[in-house]
Amino acid sequence: MSAGIAPARAREAALLGLGAVTLTLGAGAVLLLLGGYDPVAAGASMLRGSIGSWNTFVSITLVRSVPLLFAGLAVALAFRAGVWNIGAEGQLYAGAVGGVWVALTFTGLPSLLLLPAVLLASCLAGGLWALVPTLMRLRLGIGEVITTILMNFVGIYMAAWMVHGPLQEQRGVFPQTDRIVEAARLPALIPGTRLHIGFGLALVIAAVLAVMFRRTRLGFQIRAVGASPQAAAVAGRIDPARVIFISFLASGAIAGLAGGAEVSGLTYALYEDLSDGWGYTAIAVALLGGLRPGGVVVTAIFFGALQAGAGAMQRDAGIPAAWVDVVEALVILAVLGLDRVRAARAAAPTGEGGA
Amino acid sequence: MLLVSGLLNSRRCRPLVAVLVALVAGSACARESAETESTFRAALLTSGPVSDAGWYAGAYDGLLLLEDSLGASVSHQQTATPAEFDEAFIAYASSGYDIIFAHGNEYQDAAIRAGEQFPDVTIVVSGGGRVSANVVPLIFRLEEGSYLAGMAAAYMTASKVVGMVGGVAIPPAQGTFVAFESGVHVVDPEIELLEVFTGDWNDVAAAKEATVAQLSRGADVIIHNLDAASFAVFQAVREAVDGGDVAYAVGMNSDQNAVAPDVILGSAVIRIADAFLTTARLWQDGRVGGAPIYANTEQEVIDFVFNPVLLDRVPAEAVDHITRTKQAIRAGEIDIPRVIFVEGEGEGR
Repeated sequence: MSAGIAPARAREAALLGLGAVTLTLGAGAVLLLLGGYDPVAAGASMLRGSIGSWNTFVSITLVRSVPLLFAGLAVALAFRAGVWNIGAEGQLYAGAVGGVWVALTFTGLPSLLLLPAVLLASCLAGGLWALVPTLMRLRLGIGEVITTILMNFVGIYMAAWMVHGPLQEQRGVFPQTDRIVEAARLPALIPGTRLHIGFGLALVIAAVLAVMFRRTRLGFQIRAVGASPQAAAVAGRIDPARVIFISFLASGAIAGLAGGAEVSGLTYALYEDLSDGWGYTAIAVALLGGLRPGGVVVTAIFFGALQAGAGAMQRDAGIPAAWVDVVEALVILAVLGLDRVRAARAAAPTGEGGA
Repeated sequence: MLLVSGLLNSRRCRPLVAVLVALVAGSACARESAETESTFRAALLTSGPVSDAGWYAGAYDGLLLLEDSLGASVSHQQTATPAEFDEAFIAYASSGYDIIFAHGNEYQDAAIRAGEQFPDVTIVVSGGGRVSANVVPLIFRLEEGSYLAGMAAAYMTASKVVGMVGGVAIPPAQGTFVAFESGVHVVDPEIELLEVFTGDWNDVAAAKEATVAQLSRGADVIIHNLDAASFAVFQAVREAVDGGDVAYAVGMNSDQNAVAPDVILGSAVIRIADAFLTTARLWQDGRVGGAPIYANTEQEVIDFVFNPVLLDRVPAEAVDHITRTKQAIRAGEIDIPRVIFVEGEGEGR
């Protein structure tokens, strides 16, 4: 498993991504044909609905990519450090709850103070959600794959309880919070579109992560621990526990921002079912992006376009929502399969397969 | 391909459970609407699958009824998250749709936002709680149907324990159970009621578990207020019946009697499709806006219908009592308990 999803080189990652996309779209077209559809018409409405115009691209595709971008970066950071954080979904919900709580509580603050406070709170809440599995791994040696998945359910139900209980709207009728004040809402990144500055923030984080991986001591330590904690400790005199602690919590904090930005930038209230499994889709986003921040940006936008196009296919071509779920699953299968092939080919000449 | 052409010819386009068949049905509908000379454009938003044989399916049937009866050009989208609501409203409104049916209270905030942005578009929010000049809630007085269902349950229970399995504990759902309970107690005030909300309209596993738990606590008639998870309630009751118990389920939201004719006693029905048609006609007359639209027993949009397959097990006294009560509700002689949830709503039927 670990050899299969080690960070790929940029060119390989790009080829891998293209291969997965081609395979997936081919399989998707066959599926549509089997369903008695015209794949060309479906494809046309998908393209129109995702990249048909500048406004469509910005207001739908890029908007849809924002939570995938944050969560994808969170997963990539953790995976690079050898931390299998499957918990972005729960961290996202925790971040949404943290952010909305601040937005509903400190309503008198000016926007310049309130907005950073909202985003900071979602970071802290996401980090806090990651803290439990972090400590369980470092102190008790319990694998984070299990604990992060379990924390997802806690997070999802915690958010559901919040909108039925402590954070429910004042009228106490519907399972949602009150709408947050204007001062707590993220302004538009590009005026006249729905794209909020959360997208810009995610790009900044991607750039920071890219520089960190390449240029800084911490970035090197993360890559070293990700490759082999023992070797990093022995040869590099790196404390793996410290590196794991930092990258796990930072991963949770970034995933928390996904929830905070969604509430503060789009929905303006917390609801149940805030996320459509973005924390899980983010794993595919991160893998397909070769665990590289730049790659994650590209794949998050691709998945955003896929989801935007799926909406248009429903509206204009009458194709059910289930279809895009199938396509997404196909993407994940294709990328894992192709990555296996790549890893095997890379390992074959030196005879160190599966290291 | 026989199946495909059959569906194309039937003009029913009723969504089926199997995904592939649903794909086919969807394409059939899309093609038909493209060929029709349309009088207006109507869109439907649901946050669950229209293959649930209940709440969402009824709305989808309503959409198709607008196409067949009024010549509307129609489209449907299933949304997954609140972030998609605005996107869907904007997409429909900016591509020339005149009336958008948003089938659930979850759409209300986004509907109000879209209504401000597109003043020429009318948005009807099923079970919604907020009103504006062009955004109106469509309120189904399903309490009237579930009150009658409660009376039926009271006549049929031998154990004197009756169960209620709900999805999310929102006022419209709680209201149906409150009314069901008073229907039960009108017949027999001694009967004990069990109530549980699973927290999810479509979680089959949770609904089945809740139903099994109520059966094991002695309930022998169980009503639900679920969407796609309602199948699990029927399945759990069927398994109890197969195990030798006598138990019944009660259908909700649409006429589900045919879904499990061996166990469903009857259904508290919203004729959602009829309500959509009525609403669209009101809208064509320029009479929709600024106030909630109520759908009730009087218009025969809300009803309770016995399952004809099991009707021979129902005492004649029960059928007679329920028929008389239905007429009394229609005439406005009986006050059914309601939960009020529209902002500024007082009375009104």
